[in-house]
Amino acid sequence: MILRFVRGTPEDVVQGVRARLEREGHRTVRSPERERPILAVIGKIKPAIFVELERDPAIEARVKSDIPDLVLVNRAFREGPTIARVGSVRVGGDDVVIIAGPCSVEGREAVLEVAHAVRDAGAHILRGGAYKPRTSPYAFQGFGVEGLSQLKAAGEAVGLPVVSEIMDAADLPAFLDHSIDCLQIGARNMQNFSLLKAVAGSGLPVLLKRGLAATVEEWLFAAEYLAAFGAREIMLCERGIRTYEKATRNTLDLTVLPLMREWTHLPLLVDPAHAAGIARIIPPLSRASIAAGADGVAVEVHPDPSVARSDALQALLPGEFARLVAEARVMAAVTGRRLHPPPGP
Amino acid sequence: MTPALKNQLRHLDWALVQLLDERARLLATTPAGDPARAPSIDDLLRRHDGPCSPELLREVFAVIDRATPPATGSGS
Repeated sequence: MILRFVRGTPEDVVQGVRARLEREGHRTVRSPERERPILAVIGKIKPAIFVELERDPAIEARVKSDIPDLVLVNRAFREGPTIARVGSVRVGGDDVVIIAGPCSVEGREAVLEVAHAVRDAGAHILRGGAYKPRTSPYAFQGFGVEGLSQLKAAGEAVGLPVVSEIMDAADLPAFLDHSIDCLQIGARNMQNFSLLKAVAGSGLPVLLKRGLAATVEEWLFAAEYLAAFGAREIMLCERGIRTYEKATRNTLDLTVLPLMREWTHLPLLVDPAHAAGIARIIPPLSRASIAAGADGVAVEVHPDPSVARSDALQALLPGEFARLVAEARVMAAVTGRRLHPPPGP
Repeated sequence: MTPALKNQLRHLDWALVQLLDERARLLATTPAGDPARAPSIDDLLRRHDGPCSPELLREVFAVIDRATPPATGSGS
């Protein structure tokens, strides 16, 4: 349950309620809101305590989540949207961000070339995989630590923060050592709970992709895991789910975006590339994502997709990407938003 | 004019203002006098086949160009 106090309620009143609930064995979490205190209460509240809460004049609303225990990521837990800071880029709120880069980091010069191209076209965050979860064990698995180093160097060279996928908690020190700005949990690891717990404690923002066949509830609970174990800046990323449709690699589930906006305060991103698996349909899907309320899109760019070491069919050419950014700018404007300004130092 | 039509017009006008603001933000770091600031009206008119006259569009874009604030140097 989420307790929303009357605006301006003194903190000692809030802490009094909190202490009462914790004496009853409940874990409580105070939201960062200052003006309107909000308290998340974990677990089912005893009827007698609930009556007490109903009578407390300091508590304006008691919000019972439709999904029990989904509290920290629940929309009611925050007054406004959560803004995740990836480097100097603010994800969430009014601005729309563009995340772009190679699917895999393929070498120092190669990633630098893409970094320049996407920065010049207007990208805000550089993406690139150093640890690759591949269906085939014989496919390129990524350059690992060296890939992280190359990605970060490219990001610094062009002034973009970087995001990269982490597959194993044991690799976390390498991500921290290389000052990776944001950790990505890939679709296949969405419910890898030990990884979620480890990443949550890192202090870094986390980009959580939706699992290949995950329901919205399962996806939100994965985010709740992150929040419960300490993550404060979590971004959700729709990347297509598995359906019976074979025309595309996955089915991009944009239907959930407006609903997610009602259910959670977390920023919502869309990765149309992994959903489509076909480069030429990524621009219209990106426009559709922004129209449906996405806080940003993540796409893959490669100067010569024919030699890309992974996901070649869904990589955009730099020129195609530049056009996508221009279209995203128009789409953001006509939906009352704007592209995020270029990242500062 | 029906209320529905009026409502549609309001939405279109609002979108036009959003786009003009975004255009101004994009140009916020481009110095005054940079040829890139001027709208490429000839190119636009070549592809245009709507009901607005080319003369009117030239006039509108001339106003937009004049009304776009000069660069502040602080980014958009």
